[in-house]
Amino acid sequence: MQPLNINYHYVLPHIIISITGIMTLLFGALNKKSYKDLVFINVTGIFTAGVAAGKLWGIVTDAAKDGKPLTAFRDMVLLDHMSLAFIFIFLVVALLATLGSLSFLEDEDHSPEEFYSLIMFATSGMMLMASAADMVMIFLGLEIASISTYVLAGYRRTDLKSNESALKYFILGSFSTAFLLYGIALLYGATGSTNLETITSAIKSSTNSITHQPMNMAFLYISVAMLLVGFGFKIATAPFQVWTPDVYQGAPSTVTGFMATGPKAAAFVAFLRVFVNVFSGSSSFELHNTWVEVLQVLAILTMIIGNLAALSQTDIKRVLAYSSIAHAGYALIGFLAGDWTSVAFYMLTYSIMNIGAFVVVSVMAGKGDERTDLESWAGMGFKSLGLSMALLVFMLSMAGMPLTGGFMGKFFVFKTAWDKGFHVVVIVAVLNSAASVYYYLRPMVMLFFRESDEKTPTPLLSWGAYITILLALAGTFYLGLMPGKILSLLDAANTAAVSLSR
Amino acid sequence: MDALKPYLLNILVFLPIVGTVIMLMYDQIVGKSDETLRRMALFFTLLTFIASLPLIWWTGDPSLIVNVPWIESLGINYHLEVDGLSMWLVLLTTFLMPIAILSGWTAVHDKVREYLAFMLVLETGMIGVFLAMDMILFYLFWEIMLVPMYFLIGVWGGERRIYAAIKFVLYTMVGSLLMLVAIIALYLIHGDHQGGKATFDMMVITKNLAESNFLTPNQQFWMFAAFGLAFAIKVPLFPFHTWLPDAHVEAPTAGSVILAGVLLKMGTYGFMRFNLPMFPEAAHKFAVPIMVLAVIGIIYGALVAMVQPDMKKLIAYSSVSHLGFVMLGMFAFTEMGMQGSLYQMLNHGVSSGALFLVVGMIYERRHTRQISEFGGIATPMPVFSTLFLIIAFSSIGLPLLNGFVGEFLILNGTFNSTYPRAFAALATTGVILSAVYMLWMVQRVVFGEITNEENHHLSDLNFREKCILVPIVLLIIFMGVYPSFFLSRSAEQIKQIRTVVETHKPTTSVATLK
Repeated sequence: MQPLNINYHYVLPHIIISITGIMTLLFGALNKKSYKDLVFINVTGIFTAGVAAGKLWGIVTDAAKDGKPLTAFRDMVLLDHMSLAFIFIFLVVALLATLGSLSFLEDEDHSPEEFYSLIMFATSGMMLMASAADMVMIFLGLEIASISTYVLAGYRRTDLKSNESALKYFILGSFSTAFLLYGIALLYGATGSTNLETITSAIKSSTNSITHQPMNMAFLYISVAMLLVGFGFKIATAPFQVWTPDVYQGAPSTVTGFMATGPKAAAFVAFLRVFVNVFSGSSSFELHNTWVEVLQVLAILTMIIGNLAALSQTDIKRVLAYSSIAHAGYALIGFLAGDWTSVAFYMLTYSIMNIGAFVVVSVMAGKGDERTDLESWAGMGFKSLGLSMALLVFMLSMAGMPLTGGFMGKFFVFKTAWDKGFHVVVIVAVLNSAASVYYYLRPMVMLFFRESDEKTPTPLLSWGAYITILLALAGTFYLGLMPGKILSLLDAANTAAVSLSR
Repeated sequence: MDALKPYLLNILVFLPIVGTVIMLMYDQIVGKSDETLRRMALFFTLLTFIASLPLIWWTGDPSLIVNVPWIESLGINYHLEVDGLSMWLVLLTTFLMPIAILSGWTAVHDKVREYLAFMLVLETGMIGVFLAMDMILFYLFWEIMLVPMYFLIGVWGGERRIYAAIKFVLYTMVGSLLMLVAIIALYLIHGDHQGGKATFDMMVITKNLAESNFLTPNQQFWMFAAFGLAFAIKVPLFPFHTWLPDAHVEAPTAGSVILAGVLLKMGTYGFMRFNLPMFPEAAHKFAVPIMVLAVIGIIYGALVAMVQPDMKKLIAYSSVSHLGFVMLGMFAFTEMGMQGSLYQMLNHGVSSGALFLVVGMIYERRHTRQISEFGGIATPMPVFSTLFLIIAFSSIGLPLLNGFVGEFLILNGTFNSTYPRAFAALATTGVILSAVYMLWMVQRVVFGEITNEENHHLSDLNFREKCILVPIVLLIIFMGVYPSFFLSRSAEQIKQIRTVVETHKPTTSVATLK
């Protein structure tokens, strides 16, 4: 009999976050509308989980020296630098979303307990996706994260747009999950396992792990295609991006900020785990080349479609929605190069600046997200200078202006991809970022260059939003000015991973 | 004084930013007095100018160098250094800034605090571009400087300001992002060549490239093209010049002065700093096309300038023409031509900046820039007209004034180069044309009878305006009679660049070309 190999401490951050979610729910049930206490509980939980993850980082580094992978729950969960790096990103996202949503909940009198526990549950699902060692676990994590996010999207219960958003997100999300599930089933058919380790060796030797017969290659290729579609939906690559604008526009702004960053990063880490780690290696070289070629085209399409569509939008939330599609394209470039560190760094910078931008939007748009039309922002820039300047920083960061995290993210991705020989994609990406400057600066045109014709109310900044924006600003500048520490951590992790795979 | 040396470059870069912060804090705490803010901005720009003066004697001193690691895992350093190539451009920047602040004293009365803050941030960006010796640091300043300029045009500009601001940013972005790709490629190739010791330090890369050329001709070609495009847009070289008239015309006076005076020089500086010493073989391949474009720019710019009814637009197109001279002289690859090219950069900065100031002054009085609205303003404004005439002469290139030295060196250098003499001959027509459009404009504006009633009562220059124009005119004359003061200090650097370019001359005999 095998040892149980449970290793609870490897999933400590996940456990802490889940418990925090439950505590939030219970506490909320006993004390109605205690917004600040709930925020406090969540933030404490997030920081505790962060400390736990930090400890685990050290354990992983030590284990990598010995050359043995860390698994838990009988190889269902695995712990490595990649999963931890992404767990940190989810924690940052959760922290910013928790603080940033406060004013929207308070102003519109929504009940906070479900909201905050859903954020925690979604986060725990995403963390599970990051550390899954089995296709079934990826699916489980995805479902936990997705279902929580569907509810969050429809949190403005009486608002039709919010309902539309939740429904669209739900239907298309289920649709894509079906693709993913079918892909997992076919993959099981081809390789005889759902365990990533077993699948990897099965693909390497081209034999089914149960029957020990040569693998059915047609099954394998179809399943890879299905998985590509499934993950493509989740990270919103072209041509699976059509759901994004409507969903992002309808959901409450801060929820959109959360949806556009956390689940996207989670889909990326699972996508990386399956495609870069499993569908590569020596004998599956052809398989690897095939998906790289397909994904290369998809990345180019994603960037071009995202940026072109964003150019003609008049609603700030739709602009940001299309911009997030384009950003998935940029992150895919790091993906193509097979380098998870550049993707992780990109997703970190992207998450911080994107949530920051959405929180600013939620403040500017006022109660009920009423003023998201760019025209209605005319001349507000000098009235609320601090807020507009913060938005400027986030927008410039997304455009890839130096000094900001967005530049470092792009720079790192481009550098890695150019090194690996993806020259065409990098040049396309660069031209795309040049074009994107147009729509990132358009809100500035409205805010600063136009005269205000009517009496637009000055947006009110609550302390939650204030702290979130400050944190996001600090993060954006920190990543842009001194990314050295994080980069060297990722670098060390990468070398450790290389030594592990040898 | 020597104790100051290691800090000088940092002071130059950060003094304007520190000034901005102090200014904004003062405004927050003490309250709203635009006049005080203007004085503070003027104080800080003047202080920066004074701080930059020692560069004239200290340039080349190794104790000035600032070089500390910034992002070690990527080989990015915080490396500031000044040499003969950049010192005069830094001084030009610091010289023009107080003048630009003064020029907006009464013209800008809306959102003064933000206006001054953007101007000061812009100064940091420009000085940084000229001092940065790390490619990423260079790129950082190069891009950052777009933001304040974008706002200066967009908020305080003319009627079509939004269009002009966006066009300016987009044009520059396309070029500079391709430059970023070239920077990354160069970094990676250099890293491979050095056995993994990758760096973005351009001094190191230039040195290693000169020692052993590890780039294939094909790589050189594309990198020259990528860097060259970014700089050609900035110069602007024909046919990438279309952003320039829009941006110049719509920008507020101070913005135009800085655009013409400094921003365009960043393009030509880039060619001298990157393209020539780093990719000399490709430079030879590109020389003839670039010279052809430069000559087209010289003549086209002058012809278009001639028919402009708007003074500001006329000066904008004259910039296209003058920058053509700079490019022509640079790619002649003769010492004289290249020195003239550097000198002409400074000349253009001073003269065009001054012309924009002059136009700004009469615009403030009449709120129009149409040449046809004026005529005979020499009677009500004698001091103004005299200074205007001297500045116009300097732009034309009258002997004893600065423009003559630059144009003479460029034309002489081009004529005696290995390239066809037709270039010099055709460019000379540009000199004649410049006399035509400039003198014609001066004649229609300053001389003759007063045709428009409103011009009878124009007031002459006040004290502030004299403070703006007199230093410039003195500098114009000084540069015209004592050019060796400037040329001798940058001769060494020019010679070095030329040696690198010359040693990589293609082996095929050039005699066939003649």
